[in-house]
Amino acid sequence: MQRVVVTGCGIISALGQGLPATLDALMSHRPGIGPLRYLATAHSHLPCAEVPFSNAQMRSMLGIPEGAVTIRTALMGIIALGEALESAGWNTCRPERPVFISGTTVGGMDKSERFYNDFLTNNSRNDYIRAHDCGSCTQMIADYYGGFDMLSTLSTACSSAANAILTGADMIRTGRTSVAVVGGSECLTRFHLNGFNTLMILDKEPCRPFDDTRAGLNLGEGAAYLVLESAESAQKRGVKPLCLLAGCGNTCDAYHQTASSPTGEGAFLSMKKALAEAGLLPSDIDYINAHGTGTPNNDESEGTAIIRVFGENSVPPVSSTKSFTGHTTSASGSIEAVISILALLHNFTPVNLNFKEKMANLSFTPVTDNKPLRPLKHVLTNSFGFGGNDTSCIFTKI
Amino acid sequence: MEELILELKKQIIEALNLEEITPDDIDTNAPLFVEGLGLDSIDALELIVLMEKNYGIKLTDPGKSKEIFKSVATMAEYIQANRTK
Amino acid sequence: MNKITSYYRLKDNRLTELYRSLEISYPKFFKMDRLCKAGFLASEMVFRSLGEDPQSPKHDTALVFMNSSSSLDNDMDYQTTILPGNYYPSPALFVYTLANIVTGEVAIRNKIFGETSFYISSEFSAKELIITAEGAFDGKGIRRVLCGWTEYFKDACDVLVMMVEKDAAEGLDFTEKNINQIY
Repeated sequence: MQRVVVTGCGIISALGQGLPATLDALMSHRPGIGPLRYLATAHSHLPCAEVPFSNAQMRSMLGIPEGAVTIRTALMGIIALGEALESAGWNTCRPERPVFISGTTVGGMDKSERFYNDFLTNNSRNDYIRAHDCGSCTQMIADYYGGFDMLSTLSTACSSAANAILTGADMIRTGRTSVAVVGGSECLTRFHLNGFNTLMILDKEPCRPFDDTRAGLNLGEGAAYLVLESAESAQKRGVKPLCLLAGCGNTCDAYHQTASSPTGEGAFLSMKKALAEAGLLPSDIDYINAHGTGTPNNDESEGTAIIRVFGENSVPPVSSTKSFTGHTTSASGSIEAVISILALLHNFTPVNLNFKEKMANLSFTPVTDNKPLRPLKHVLTNSFGFGGNDTSCIFTKI
Repeated sequence: MEELILELKKQIIEALNLEEITPDDIDTNAPLFVEGLGLDSIDALELIVLMEKNYGIKLTDPGKSKEIFKSVATMAEYIQANRTK
Repeated sequence: MNKITSYYRLKDNRLTELYRSLEISYPKFFKMDRLCKAGFLASEMVFRSLGEDPQSPKHDTALVFMNSSSSLDNDMDYQTTILPGNYYPSPALFVYTLANIVTGEVAIRNKIFGETSFYISSEFSAKELIITAEGAFDGKGIRRVLCGWTEYFKDACDVLVMMVEKDAAEGLDFTEKNINQIY
């Protein structure tokens, strides 16, 4: 089995564009959650975490003409992918037959929900019909750069991007490819803002993950991609790996369509699986970037699972960076993977903002200080999706 | 009140896709959640939508709603007292 | 050689009738959207032909489904609940506006704890099915994968669910030729 390394990454979120902006926000405890600026909705009072650029600004950043058919999810994806490819030395030494795997649920829905009536009554916006699909979105992102041997689109709700990472890693480990560019992208839409609102899991205030008074999540948007390679390919191309992708695990909670089981069964199993693949013990983990949405259900369930895996009195530092980026749904797996890698490379623990009260049933409290307890060598990140789709990934310093 | 209770049972069956159940099958005073019809958290949310759509009652606290949704009888009482439609 | 040990092809959209013919008691069936109902029923037929108990936990089984329209059939229903002037978003419908809830429903019913995934592809492709399903076998204690094409859109039901076992002794070879034949 091939070792899988990360040779590049790129990100765009409410914290800004690129790794430096993201790192700065995390270190300065500056969240991206606030009032909506770009999404036109009746629910403008709900705190969200929008990418701080309009579509016009992002088109301009990419040199895409005004009249072109563009969707917000693809614009964000293209920007993040560009940074990832650049950092992996794509243009200095192009890899052979790379694969692109992207996760999204919304695709081009930001436009289709606006033009739905036009679709039904006239032909002025028909180009956007084809832009709606998840697959079309992946194609738009990949085609901006070109050169991919295979494209694949994953759609497993909030674990999509994490599963893209897992799938890419599997393909490299088994020799099906030597380079896999993986991640996800998702923009805010009225459709899912209203949907989450009707499930009554949105907080009217900035979210407070792992706090006893937490009342829900804040929706966010963004994109992030990682360049995964076999250690051999990285060496051949002369690129220095950022870190190792030590292991991943995906399991099913098999409990309810949207709620997590009280014992956190799926989360427990996915973390154990990732540890097993990485050949690590729970005590090896130096920091956990939790899924930590801030809903009463998730944090209880995930917290319970963490205690079951790591032991009541030996839980490593845990934080949810959704207190910075909001819940970026299908992109959260890769956005949080990039944040975890930043933590690893710069040796700090991203804090869990807005925490005040310890949860009654958990033995641990989340991290509120950037200074790690010990140097970070292994970092674990969780992403759980509706449908009980639970994924954990472990990144290791090399 | 009897009319409201029957109407409510029919609406619950439709809103929650309880296809194999008729109004006669629903005991007015039996618990709706856990036992009885065994409804779950998503069903509770649908009932909140039902209250607003059919009776103009806005419920914003899922926790408080537990008391109102205890049984068809408690729902009907609450509707009678608070309906705006 | 990986082998198909059981499969079920569903093109009939009379889902409620098929459910009733199975004579099982699973009231949650009626809450599902049409995509989930179709995937659920085809999976039920596969497990039934294998003689398996839905209640027994399955840690060695993965679930990988694909389709082209994602959850669009249900999305359209949800859309009708968020019309201006008649605005009552339905939580129950919103839950199903995700393609992978069908894998969740099948996992809940059959207590499947292995890897689950959902892929979108522009059309049915036996080749892509093999790649994604066999991906689940890569050294993680997964012995078999329930996989297939679960497409449902506007009353057109196009479902093929298969149980594929790793290095099995018996069954139909898991090849493009065989898959296309049963499709």
